[in-house]
Amino acid sequence: MAVTTATLGASPRARRPALLAFRTAVLRKPGRVVGLAIIVLFALMAVAGPWFYGRLEIDPDAVYAPPSAKHWLGTDFAGSDVLQEIIVGARYVLGTAALAALITAVLGTGIGLVAGYRRGFTDSVLMRITDFILTIPAFPLLIVLSTVWDFSSPWLMGLVLGGTGWGGMARAVRSQALSLRERGFLEAARGLGLSTRHIIVKELLPNIAPYVAMHLLLSTIAFVTAEVGLFFLGVVPFSTTNWGVMLNQAVFSGGALESPDALFYLLAPLSCIVLLTLGIVLFLDAVDELFNPRLRERA
Amino acid sequence: MTGFGRRLAGKLAMGLVMVWAVATFTFFLVRALPGNPGDVQYENYILMGMSPGQAQARVNAVYGFTSHEPLPRQYGGYLWQLAQGNLGQSTSYSGVPVAHIIGSALPWTVIPVLSGLIVSFLIGVAAGVVAAVKRSSRWGGLLSLSGSVVAGVPTFVVALLLLLVFHTEWHLLPFGGTSDYEAGWNAPYVGSVIEHAVLPVCTYALLSYGGWLLAMKSSVISVLGDDFILAAELRGITPVTRARYIGRNAILPLFTVLALSFGLMFGGSIFIENTFDYPGLGSLLLKAIGTRDYTLMSGAFLLITVAVIAANILADLCYTLIDPRVRR
Repeated sequence: MAVTTATLGASPRARRPALLAFRTAVLRKPGRVVGLAIIVLFALMAVAGPWFYGRLEIDPDAVYAPPSAKHWLGTDFAGSDVLQEIIVGARYVLGTAALAALITAVLGTGIGLVAGYRRGFTDSVLMRITDFILTIPAFPLLIVLSTVWDFSSPWLMGLVLGGTGWGGMARAVRSQALSLRERGFLEAARGLGLSTRHIIVKELLPNIAPYVAMHLLLSTIAFVTAEVGLFFLGVVPFSTTNWGVMLNQAVFSGGALESPDALFYLLAPLSCIVLLTLGIVLFLDAVDELFNPRLRERA
Repeated sequence: MTGFGRRLAGKLAMGLVMVWAVATFTFFLVRALPGNPGDVQYENYILMGMSPGQAQARVNAVYGFTSHEPLPRQYGGYLWQLAQGNLGQSTSYSGVPVAHIIGSALPWTVIPVLSGLIVSFLIGVAAGVVAAVKRSSRWGGLLSLSGSVVAGVPTFVVALLLLLVFHTEWHLLPFGGTSDYEAGWNAPYVGSVIEHAVLPVCTYALLSYGGWLLAMKSSVISVLGDDFILAAELRGITPVTRARYIGRNAILPLFTVLALSFGLMFGGSIFIENTFDYPGLGSLLLKAIGTRDYTLMSGAFLLITVAVIAANILADLCYTLIDPRVRR
């Protein structure tokens, strides 16, 4: 996922150097390699996990069993293997976040580019809408919406998360577009009489792509947080196994905060979220360098 | 100063439009709910033997509108009630005005949020300066990484980890409710309130610490490269004066972060209050949803939104007052 987003906007001619620059940027610091490895690991879990463990095995003799050779992270209240649940749950969590991130990228980049390039009336209308989306506290809005909508389908969840989360991206892209539009090459493009569509898609977008990728990664963290949070609070009906459901079960019915039995059941999803965050943050460093030439020279 | 007045008026107008939009949204949301709760209530009153007129008056008192009137009239009546500060009556607390319930929950959210904000601001800004000045050293890098990770880690993870360490493992701090004693101005009560507030406040502080650190760091780095700093250095100012110059100029953009983090914290209050069983606005909203108390739900949601909008306006005004360049 990470590789494709970073090269997404590059035109075919520029693809090779972009890929090469990306490779050098990642290999420069060991932290970035670790970050990329963590992201790839979780992506693999999400894609391939459910193929390995189609149905969770239940072992009624081992309820809240401690970690052992058979159950690496122990078992939960029903005797299911915690590690299996984590792997199976990754698909819902990451799939939804990816869908939401995709919607954010399309909406945020589109609105930001048009607003920043067209300016004037279009800009102020679009930015008022963006400010509105940004100001309304997203999480309370989500839990209020959960009373009318059934979020248990991953598609709907992704749609709602993406639909409420594109504000920051639109603002960031707009400010980039505003500064790019004054550059020489854009003036030249306008002077050549190229169409607005051509300028936005072929000239502006490739220059903004790394920035979009950066925001995309950051918003993925936010989306994972938000959806796991919804399940943790228990406002969304549980339909599949995922990290949020595990957290909710561990804290509110497993008593993980009172007894050490359910500790691993609680800590496993928690550590996954922290690890994923860490991976994305470490990897962002590389994207940041690609985007910011000043950092590249200094290093 | 007329520019300032115009800016204030514009911001206030924008804020009012937003509040109106959110109120409209909750109005239609409650109507769109499966089996419109107002209708259900109305049928219940009829079954209890009330006349249609009485039932309608009762439903009106609770929801601010009845679904037997034409839609524009319902909507107008609801907005009119709202303009007078009447949020309707709670259904789960049987007839208590929603404004009342929210009013008693509000301080338990606002005070911890503000304390957490101040604590994290002081620590985050100081750490941000260090991270910027020492950015090429190992410690600076680690400090920045700590900021990025803490800013990215979800609220409930922080809250659960703190609870796990300080309550379950070490038995240092209590949780649940605001105090162990009856309310009153005596030492045990106040002490207990403070003790109960430590964990929520720390969580709020950790929640926004990363944001402050990263914002301050990038701001200081950009000021470091400014010409006036170089000029001042060439004039031979002392390091303390130099730090003061940099600090004063670097802290300006943080006021936009202030507004953002206030909103973030109000959103986070749902997790924090739920985890620590703390009776503020966030847990009120959650409880309202759990008990399907829709008037309380829309009231709490509206108030959270209003608080965030107000904070935004305030931050913008502060910015205008402090930075003379924006005022014109």
